[in-house]
Amino acid sequence: MSGLEQIIREKLANGSDAFLCLKNQAGVSVPVLITSPDSEDIEVAELGEVRYPLGKILIALQKEHPDTRLAVVVRGCDERAFIELSKLEQLDLDKLVMIGVACTPEEAEACGCAKPYPEDVTLGEKVENPRGLETIERLESMSDSERMQWWKEEFSRCIKCYGCRNICPMCFCKDCSLENPHLVEPGVIPPEFPSFHIIRALDMAGRCIDCGLCEESCPAEIPLRSLYRKMQEIMADKLDYRAGESRDEKSPLSFLGEEAEIKNLE
Amino acid sequence: MEGMSVSEEVRILAFLCNWCSYAGADLAGVSRLQYPANVLDVRVMCTGTISTYFVVKAFQEGMDGVLIAGCHIGDCHYLKGNYMTAKRFQVLRDALKFLGLEEGRLRLEWVSAAEGEKYAEVIRSFSDEVQALGPSPLRKKDKTA
Amino acid sequence: MSEKDLSYELIPSTCAYCGTGCGVLLEVMDGRLSGVLPQKDHPVSKGALCLKGWSSHEFVYSPRRLDKPMIRKDGVPVECEWEEALKVVAEGLQKARNEHGPDAVGFFTSARCTNEENYLLQKFARAVIGTNNVDHCARL
Repeated sequence: MSGLEQIIREKLANGSDAFLCLKNQAGVSVPVLITSPDSEDIEVAELGEVRYPLGKILIALQKEHPDTRLAVVVRGCDERAFIELSKLEQLDLDKLVMIGVACTPEEAEACGCAKPYPEDVTLGEKVENPRGLETIERLESMSDSERMQWWKEEFSRCIKCYGCRNICPMCFCKDCSLENPHLVEPGVIPPEFPSFHIIRALDMAGRCIDCGLCEESCPAEIPLRSLYRKMQEIMADKLDYRAGESRDEKSPLSFLGEEAEIKNLE
Repeated sequence: MEGMSVSEEVRILAFLCNWCSYAGADLAGVSRLQYPANVLDVRVMCTGTISTYFVVKAFQEGMDGVLIAGCHIGDCHYLKGNYMTAKRFQVLRDALKFLGLEEGRLRLEWVSAAEGEKYAEVIRSFSDEVQALGPSPLRKKDKTA
Repeated sequence: MSEKDLSYELIPSTCAYCGTGCGVLLEVMDGRLSGVLPQKDHPVSKGALCLKGWSSHEFVYSPRRLDKPMIRKDGVPVECEWEEALKVVAEGLQKARNEHGPDAVGFFTSARCTNEENYLLQKFARAVIGTNNVDHCARL
């Protein structure tokens, strides 16, 4: 019996109604919700090499079944997403049991994640990894007009599939600004520079937890992660806030705050 | 200033809060202070109501500079409205800079109802700064009229 | 609540909107199709989808979706049985071909059909009606 299989059986026997993880289905890793200890899926459950927006799945599950106690396998990014989603009142962490998985050194390096592990690691070993800032540094060494030209070229490939928003674990609004005809003109492909992308980037400020799913699922291979990662850097530099880090401290963009905090700015 | 004639004027959009900066602008007018005329004012109840989208939209519609002016910190009519402005502004300016828009095109100033002279000075210096930068790279070709 | 009430499944499938064949996972919650996710390690789409793929579940419960054939009678579409509908179509095709020749008829097939269905339709066009007027909705 593998470590994961044992954990699933243990959680289902001890108070969890369902267990969310990945399973191997004909050689492909897909998310699975295991609701019974007799399920055949337990034997094919795996950690997998791919990542899915589990936060989105959990939001939908908790909305339909608010009293369900769920157990879920989390990587560092999943945990950050859940913490931030709970502060945005989308997820109830009290009804969630998180089983931490640390990413392997290879995964962490390929991803460029600065914290490729959750707080409590049950499976795998914690590895430290430098945040991948090469693209941001290269862009910042350019002049303003060079940088705009670079982004214009990258964004000119956008097919406006909304994949970056749809896959994003932090995007949950019913009415999306990207579909507001006053902000983003409908029927124009590629979308006008920079409205579509700057609006998404601004909405990511204080929310983006640097999972990189947006860039992974972009059919045009636009380096979106560098843009949103820069938003994270800005939030950290200017407003001293790192999304997904603390369970209590809310994003400074979500409340007015106190005078002392404002005085320290600029 | 490549490709533009010397006489071409840049356009500036100014978001002014109803309680302080709009009154400050009014005072500048009543006091007959001279300042450039290439500024369009938008009166808002509080600078805290200015969504970052409004600024993006202004640039998208062909503005060359955007000024946000509100009450001094601590003097907000709604007590804390301008705290939000201060926070949002920094994020917005850095984000636009990262996409290649010069940071001089966006400015935040606190102008009280008694500061007519300051308002005129802010407009003069901001207008000069934007004029030096030239037309915005986000200006649409067909909307420059 | 009982565990039985809760069910969430992801069904691997292929997006039927065009000929590319991107991998999608259909989200089924409590027996109802609720969304789509891209299949991450799919050999064709490699975890990406286009706008059509991302919204390929939306038509399923649309109130405007036709789930019965309709015949226009006195200018108003009226629901009818398949037998009657097919009869009207067959008679119409026959009439057009007999009066104006086979090339008066055109066949338009769909990416939402299978290879076999598309094959059948072109076979029907060429062998039964006798025309090469066959086209396809994904030939954009």
